Amino acid sequence: MWKTILRRVLMMIPQMFVLSLFIFILAKQMPGDPFTGLITPETDPSRIEELRIQAGFYDPWYVQYYHWITNALQGDFGQSYTYKIAVSTLIGERGLNTFWLSLLSAILVYLIAIPLGMLAGRYQESFLDKSIILYSFISYAIPTFVLSLIFLFIFGYRLMWFPTSGTVDVGLEPGTTAYYWNKIYHLLLPAITYAILGTTSIIQYLRSEIIDSKTQDYVKTARSKGIPMRKVYTRHIFRNSLLPIAAFLGFTITGLLGGAIFIETIFGFPGMGNLFVSSVMSRDYSVITALVMLFGFLTLLGSLLSDIIMSIVDPRIRID
Amino acid sequence: MKKNWLMLSVIFAVMLVLTACNSAEKNTAQTDDGNKDKPAQTDDNNVDTNSIPMEITNEGDVIKGGTLQVALVTDSPFQGIFNWELYEDAYDSEIMKYASNVLYELDGDFLVKDTGIAKLEVDAENNKAKITIQGDVKWSDGTPLTTDDLIYPYEIIGHPDYEGVRYDDDFKNIVGAEEYHDGKADTISGIKKLDEKSIEITFKKVSPAIYSLGDGLWGYAEPKHQLESIPMKELISSDAVRKNPVTLGAFKIDKIVNGESIQLVANEHYFKGKPKIDKVVIEVVPSTSIGEALKTGKYDIATSFPTNQYDGLKNLSNVAILGRPELAYSYVGFKLGKYDKANRINIFDEKSKMNDINLRQAMAYAMDIESVTEKFYQGLRVRANSLIPPVFASYYDETLKGYNYDAEKAKQLLDKAGYKDADGDGIREDKNGEKFTIRLASMAGSDTDEAIVEYYRQNWKDVGLDVQLTTGRLIEFNSFYDKVQADDPEIDMYMAAWGTGTNPSPAGLYSEGAEFNFSRFVSPELSEMLKDIDSDKAMKPEYRAEAFSKWQNYMAEQAMVFPTFFRTEIIPVNKRVKNYNVDYANETELQNIELTADAPLK
Repeated sequence: MWKTILRRVLMMIPQMFVLSLFIFILAKQMPGDPFTGLITPETDPSRIEELRIQAGFYDPWYVQYYHWITNALQGDFGQSYTYKIAVSTLIGERGLNTFWLSLLSAILVYLIAIPLGMLAGRYQESFLDKSIILYSFISYAIPTFVLSLIFLFIFGYRLMWFPTSGTVDVGLEPGTTAYYWNKIYHLLLPAITYAILGTTSIIQYLRSEIIDSKTQDYVKTARSKGIPMRKVYTRHIFRNSLLPIAAFLGFTITGLLGGAIFIETIFGFPGMGNLFVSSVMSRDYSVITALVMLFGFLTLLGSLLSDIIMSIVDPRIRID
Repeated sequence: MKKNWLMLSVIFAVMLVLTACNSAEKNTAQTDDGNKDKPAQTDDNNVDTNSIPMEITNEGDVIKGGTLQVALVTDSPFQGIFNWELYEDAYDSEIMKYASNVLYELDGDFLVKDTGIAKLEVDAENNKAKITIQGDVKWSDGTPLTTDDLIYPYEIIGHPDYEGVRYDDDFKNIVGAEEYHDGKADTISGIKKLDEKSIEITFKKVSPAIYSLGDGLWGYAEPKHQLESIPMKELISSDAVRKNPVTLGAFKIDKIVNGESIQLVANEHYFKGKPKIDKVVIEVVPSTSIGEALKTGKYDIATSFPTNQYDGLKNLSNVAILGRPELAYSYVGFKLGKYDKANRINIFDEKSKMNDINLRQAMAYAMDIESVTEKFYQGLRVRANSLIPPVFASYYDETLKGYNYDAEKAKQLLDKAGYKDADGDGIREDKNGEKFTIRLASMAGSDTDEAIVEYYRQNWKDVGLDVQLTTGRLIEFNSFYDKVQADDPEIDMYMAAWGTGTNPSPAGLYSEGAEFNFSRFVSPELSEMLKDIDSDKAMKPEYRAEAFSKWQNYMAEQAMVFPTFFRTEIIPVNKRVKNYNVDYANETELQNIELTADAPLK
């Protein structure tokens, strides 16, 4: 198994290389550049040209690529053209925000989805089951921004239970307990919104797995040994039904950094999704390329993690 | 994995459409026509822009101190570069206004007055300016303002390692700036310290633009005692710029949460006296919820409020709506030549397709802009008559007639010019009887842009002109300017907008050497007029006003570009703010803001 993992990790190198080549060339192919947006009647076009030359935009693409990749290999992804700070600092800041938001919502997703999925599977065809299915269809169908706006409107502005924008109040002293509580307070509403939207697949997988399991031989065996139904569900069926969910766990973990553009925008939450889209719009090449490389790497890592997790939870599966 | 990428690209495509508006406008003055104020579609409810007040006085007793809550309406985090030489994003400057290192106060025409921290005296004959610190002024940390602090910003901009846009032709107008930038000199030779309170700057040439802070004159001071130890390359990422800048304004920065909010406290050293309120809190508020936030009394003032949400504000009892003209105009331009990059010169081509005054005027008359302002913009935009926005009261020529909608006149002009419908299909042919199609480049912005452009195309068809869109659809912001700037042969005419800034001199946009003279029109008369506006004689305000008027009339007549809209900026203010005035000529000064309740009214 370790050999396989090593081989998979080594395979990532050429994959990442090809990705870097693609994203670098495609990014440069976009019309405009980071300086296009700086143009006003008062800026001097020749100064903008100078800045373009300084930034090396007129060098042949392979020269630019060489500079970029050699720096990137040493961990230097350059400066953001928009924010004028190191890309790694910028991504670190936004990534951290996104990480906490995603982590909280991932926990909430499991907290909501697992009980609902189990109940729906156990009491199949009942009123409860139908209500849960209805809920999961609605949450699947409703566009993110609609639900976000509705929640913001009701819980943020009408009932005033939650703050309406940002990650923390400005007046608090960083490092104090009040500061961290305030941060969590700010996370709640976006995380709940995010979680409600993300439960569908888990509920559905879990429900159908449980329905399948109910007729399996091991369940009959357990029942015939006199184990109470409740225990059969919590011990035997539940563990087996979690397999398809475990299959996604790797992606869920690496997806924590992906960001959620709609939620971030509506809740005024500076995260990765917002950063990615705005960097594309402003042609902030260094940020675009770094983010795509990061997302690409996380996807590869996610699939590897999922395989490893699967082999741990299901001994029948071996990655070879 | 395949699926993930597909999803990503789909989501991404949707996002592009949704965020196009805000991101594009955010960092640019090269505005897209219809970005910020997506027009709302209503048939009635038009406002007379003159009826929106610039000033409000509210009832109630003033409380002691208090915190002013300011909403910065944007869907992206602010960049947080709090330095006038280095910042690029307009939202950063909105924030800096409260802390401000501004040296001069400006009048209604944005010309330097004598009442600021520093006094400007221009010696036009010798191309010199003397700048004197008036009275005892202190930085927010208590250190006195010195002449070194006046000189330091010039040394930042001119520095060999400076990577901003402000090292430009204007700046090179300072004697010795280029030598300093090239590393041949340790100081800028044209800037001299005269005594403890004043400096003298020698320019290559002084023009009337110096009073609009042009010609290389810089309007801000920087705290040398705080910044001098930081190497230029690191300045932009240093704490002195990002976290704890030392400032001169009414408030000083106290706490910052990167990209989302900032808290300022009253500056006890402010040269006009400590402000009456204690604190200002500025927060980023997404455009989707600003209306609701104002309604529930979260904020006192909203800056860069999206005009398309004007309707939602009208019935709020706790918010007063103030308005003022924007420093911008929308326009239509015709391609009449090419830009020669090597020689940095515009080359006017007399044989170009659109080089017929009657044709251009006819196209202007044929556009029913009046209906568009009513139906799509609720009257918050009006048909423009000049390339100078009316806010520049002394230079704007209000007598200009402009091209008010008149389809009959358009037809007559086209007949006169020889564009006749030879084959009877309702579409005119060109002067030689050949098929005549005009290609229009138009930017994609809000959801109503397409409808508006289609309406104009119908207007032109009504007078017999076949206008087709370049590329067949609206063009994304970056591509649009790429194409227009590169004189794409697929463009005969284009619709765009300019933010004018506070210096109204049109030389940067319409002169022979100007790369942004996108129409590429050049004539000896025009060059003469532009020179006249910035000439020595124009140091006299009356002469300059006259020169501006001549130029506006000439541009209107030639119609190589003709203005379409003037815009109104909307500023909602909570009624607990005692007095507030947004008129550029008479803005409420920050230290005088007072509040009548502990929290914004609901």
